Amino acid sequence: MADTAQAVVKSADEIGTLSKKERKKLHMQKMTKEELAYLRRKSVTDKVWPFFRAFILIGLGFVIMYPLIYMVSCAFRERGDMSDPTVMWIPRHLTLDIIRETVQAMDFWNTLKTTLVLNIGCSVVQVFSCALTGYGFARFSFRGKKLLFVIVIMMILVPTQVISLPLYSQFRYFGIKGLFSINLIDSKLTMYLPAITGNGIRSGLMILIFRQFFRGMPKELEDAAYIDGCGPFMTFIRVMIPNAASSFLTVFLFSVVWYWNDYYVSTTFFTNTRTVALMLTNLDSELKLRLFNNISANINPREAIVWKEAGCLICIAPLLLMYVLLQKHFTEGIERSGIVG
Amino acid sequence: MSSKKARKLPYQRRKALYGYGFISLWLVGTVIFFLIPLIQSLRYSFCEVKVNPGSLETEFAGLKKYIYALNEDQYYTEYLSSTLLETLWKTPLILIFSLFIAVILNQKFRGRTFARAVFFLPVIIATGPVFKIISGDMSKTGNTGAQRFSTMFSTDLIGELMEFLGIYGLSDKMNTMISAVADNIFGIVWSSGIQIILFLAALQNIPSSAREAAEVEGATAWEYFWKITFPYVTPFILANFIYTVIDSFTSPMNQVMNRILELKSQWDFGEASAMAWIYFAIVLAAIGIVTFIVNKFVYYEVD
Repeated sequence: MADTAQAVVKSADEIGTLSKKERKKLHMQKMTKEELAYLRRKSVTDKVWPFFRAFILIGLGFVIMYPLIYMVSCAFRERGDMSDPTVMWIPRHLTLDIIRETVQAMDFWNTLKTTLVLNIGCSVVQVFSCALTGYGFARFSFRGKKLLFVIVIMMILVPTQVISLPLYSQFRYFGIKGLFSINLIDSKLTMYLPAITGNGIRSGLMILIFRQFFRGMPKELEDAAYIDGCGPFMTFIRVMIPNAASSFLTVFLFSVVWYWNDYYVSTTFFTNTRTVALMLTNLDSELKLRLFNNISANINPREAIVWKEAGCLICIAPLLLMYVLLQKHFTEGIERSGIVG
Repeated sequence: MSSKKARKLPYQRRKALYGYGFISLWLVGTVIFFLIPLIQSLRYSFCEVKVNPGSLETEFAGLKKYIYALNEDQYYTEYLSSTLLETLWKTPLILIFSLFIAVILNQKFRGRTFARAVFFLPVIIATGPVFKIISGDMSKTGNTGAQRFSTMFSTDLIGELMEFLGIYGLSDKMNTMISAVADNIFGIVWSSGIQIILFLAALQNIPSSAREAAEVEGATAWEYFWKITFPYVTPFILANFIYTVIDSFTSPMNQVMNRILELKSQWDFGEASAMAWIYFAIVLAAIGIVTFIVNKFVYYEVD
């Protein structure tokens, strides 16, 4: 016992004079068998694991990127290349014609403008109304709160398909029964009205996110504002919103994505208004109509792929651009907003 | 003291009123755009709905539509069972997969930001019509990215790998299971974007002290996962489970929903509503049961 203690003291004395390697060796000698085995195992896994990890990440990353690479590869080739068995990834005849034709067929710039105005408008009002509601649920106690929150959960759970039809008749004869009714179908109000009242696309989820987020914020913030004579609504606008700015941005971005991608709700309520998602779903007939001036034109289905992939590409290009520029807000915001608590 | 108490009560009441004020906008919208349509749709499912120019006529028909959907419709029960079965095995796979990827993406290595960007990419695409096209709904062409990818990736590769490893004796069942997983890897990877983000958020909440303690004690990666990582992510598993199930509603490959839409476009509103409600009720019941079980499990964990 005394021996080992002395050895420790001795090594402690010598430690200053020894080189790094020797010091490590000395350290190893003092270890038990189990510790050594653990270290050996650890060094092996530390060496093997990065390769294994890279293998998994590259493989699965390929699964994700595959459709995008295929899109790019198809969008820039001539249609004849589709029937050429030697062309797999790299097109033989590089061309911008297909992209140009698809842009023309989709009336892309006008469609883009309509879609952007609609999406951003809806998202802004929806984020605001959902934040308001989420704040109400997070900080105030009132009668029936539990029951009302069950409705929020129901909004998350009920698929749109279940209510879309009665919703259609709701918009078709919008008003008070017996007094007046207006036909809102095809009007953009079918998007704006639900959004402004916190009932737009996936608003249940957004209310839940905001509720969780506001519950996690310190109460002292508001108390200070109340003492200074600020009413609850002004407190919300002046104190809570600036403090929650990054969370707002994340939810807003997701909202824009969901509105951009939506084709179900818009096919139900729009017959004339064109959004990018709708144009893409109807690309086939639009192509035939505008490109070939003939609705029953026969395009070889294999060759039609080039336009389809080009359509996909220009449809997600704005989203991709936004994603690349604002990637941080997409992911970090979710982590910070504490969606689950 | 007493004066303070007297002042406090009205304050409470005033605060409650403010609460109603904050949710009033939503409440009005919910009644008009959610509750009334929801009740209407339930009513349609018990009715014979006739579409006339200018109005919808409903006539009470009892359970007829439900019985028809379950007994006579030639596609519905088949689609229903296959969709439910698919949700049943796909959901756990998505959860395990996304947790696995989240653990990997939480480690430090070069190119991590890029890897994260790639794995979150489905989040912005997978809800839209583009996903519908790339996941194999290219009408009439029969030649899709996903299909081609699956055939490239699946049976041959797995079979050869097995033979290479000297495994011949595996039962056919196991074999079909493995190839089914390989066939579906596209669908699984593409539907776990949000789940990976949520799990990653959970992993980043693990205090570094827990990690250091585990290292000092000499825990292996396996032990670390089960004793530290897993308890920290359990609350997120439920949220992810619910999210995955809800997401399957909007999947373009969901046959039940497609059948419902088909009937809707044939103006058979009663039938479509009945089918939607059967499907929704089953899924809701399943979510309820799982939530109950998981909550119990988490409770014992805390205890």
